[in-house]
Amino acid sequence: MYDEIRRQANDTQAMHDEAMPQLRDAMSQLFEEEGREADEKRAAVGSVSPGMLFKVGGITLAGAALLAACGSDGKDSASTTPGTTPGTTPGTTGGSASGDILILRTASSIEELAIAAYQIAIDSGLVTTAAIGDAAKLFQSQHREHSALFQSETKRAGGEPFTAANPAVLAALQPTIDALKDEMGIVKLAFDLETAAAQTYQSNVGVVIDAKLNAALMSIGGVEARHAAILAGVLGNKATDSAFQGIGQAVKAGTGV
Amino acid sequence: MQISEQSLRHLVNATNEEHRAGMSALPEQIAELHHGVGRSLQGHSRRQFMQRLGLSGLAVTIGSQLIPMRSLMPTAFAADGDAGLAAFAESVELAAVEAYKAAAGGGLVTTKAVLDAATVFLGHHTEHAAAFGAAAGSAATKKPNPKLLAAVAGQLGAAKDEAAVLKIAYDLEGAAAATYLFALGALTSKAALQLTASILPVEAQHAVVLGQVLGLSVTDYVPTFETVTTAVNPTDFPV
Repeated sequence: MYDEIRRQANDTQAMHDEAMPQLRDAMSQLFEEEGREADEKRAAVGSVSPGMLFKVGGITLAGAALLAACGSDGKDSASTTPGTTPGTTPGTTGGSASGDILILRTASSIEELAIAAYQIAIDSGLVTTAAIGDAAKLFQSQHREHSALFQSETKRAGGEPFTAANPAVLAALQPTIDALKDEMGIVKLAFDLETAAAQTYQSNVGVVIDAKLNAALMSIGGVEARHAAILAGVLGNKATDSAFQGIGQAVKAGTGV
Repeated sequence: MQISEQSLRHLVNATNEEHRAGMSALPEQIAELHHGVGRSLQGHSRRQFMQRLGLSGLAVTIGSQLIPMRSLMPTAFAADGDAGLAAFAESVELAAVEAYKAAAGGGLVTTKAVLDAATVFLGHHTEHAAAFGAAAGSAATKKPNPKLLAAVAGQLGAAKDEAAVLKIAYDLEGAAAATYLFALGALTSKAALQLTASILPVEAQHAVVLGQVLGLSVTDYVPTFETVTTAVNPTDFPV
């Protein structure tokens, strides 16, 4: 099984590298139409509070810890909506609602976290099955494309893209990362992150003001679910969580960004 | 990539248990969809619905033709808004249910783990159909999509072995995921959007399992982005 994963991963990496810039551009263009009903819905939806409990991989943190982590990339002004480009008035430009920007920044921060986590896995020396290492590289490269799309959408919405691994979630996971001892531990961590990513994007469908983002979110959320299914198989677990994907592992928009 | 029967069993084992757990809150949500927000799906904002179908010139490939997505939605469905699209989704799910029943009962699928997986997936599609039917309200037909069912039945009839049957199921799951991505660009109500978003990943995961069993290229069942390329459309497959 793993030999085949490695062969396929190697075969596809070159194809992926060649095709992705064009596909990413196409996906970005696909979702570039401004949300026409943005102003109508904005007042009803409002912004998402970051001071909520959140859970990733069985770890739950209190709101105070999250609030302390907010804005830790050092790019945001405390007096403005996080991630909103100075001079841009949230809620007045199609697709630039502050809630959408928070969602998109959180999304790219999760993608960056996944990229970092896979790098930790690759560099750890704990991954002894070559196929798993190759799969990690493939998934990591896909997360780079996902992050690029979310960052592009953040810019389009009038926000400043979040380009770092989510600091709050990373801090929550750090003890788990530090305690990693074997390959299966790494696979479990990856599974938890992929599951959290898939559920996070799902949780924001119907919440975003720019309606075009609904499809954008799930064009990526579906892929994270596929990653999770493969990792579940490696762990000897179920591939399909349920008939309906839940959002119990979703990261709240605004967490850590 | 071939996986062992034991591995396949691992992939589907305990799914029913989780499935039941996940379903515990769903009846409430469906009731809300049907009796609360769901009511508004009837004729829900035709203007918004058609606007979203514009999708920035998004096009899908069907056969050799590249068709603008806005042309895929018949007027009747547009008039019914979200309810019409939910009814279409219900019909797609019921076609999948019938396809899995035919596949499991056709005698070509002999690997027990594959049969077990088919049973689990059939159960999922049954739940999906019920949820979409509830969302559709009076627009629901409670019938499988006739043209899709006929197409799949023809393919199953021509299948010569287990792998051929699995490939049909794989294609059907991919088409379902693509169809729901398409729907997410057209639906307008929060309830319908969230329901659809909760189902799309499950179809994608079904495709992963089937793709692994079939030994397909990993990029076939793990694309970098979900796309609408293989979406089933209501014009070619009316309810």
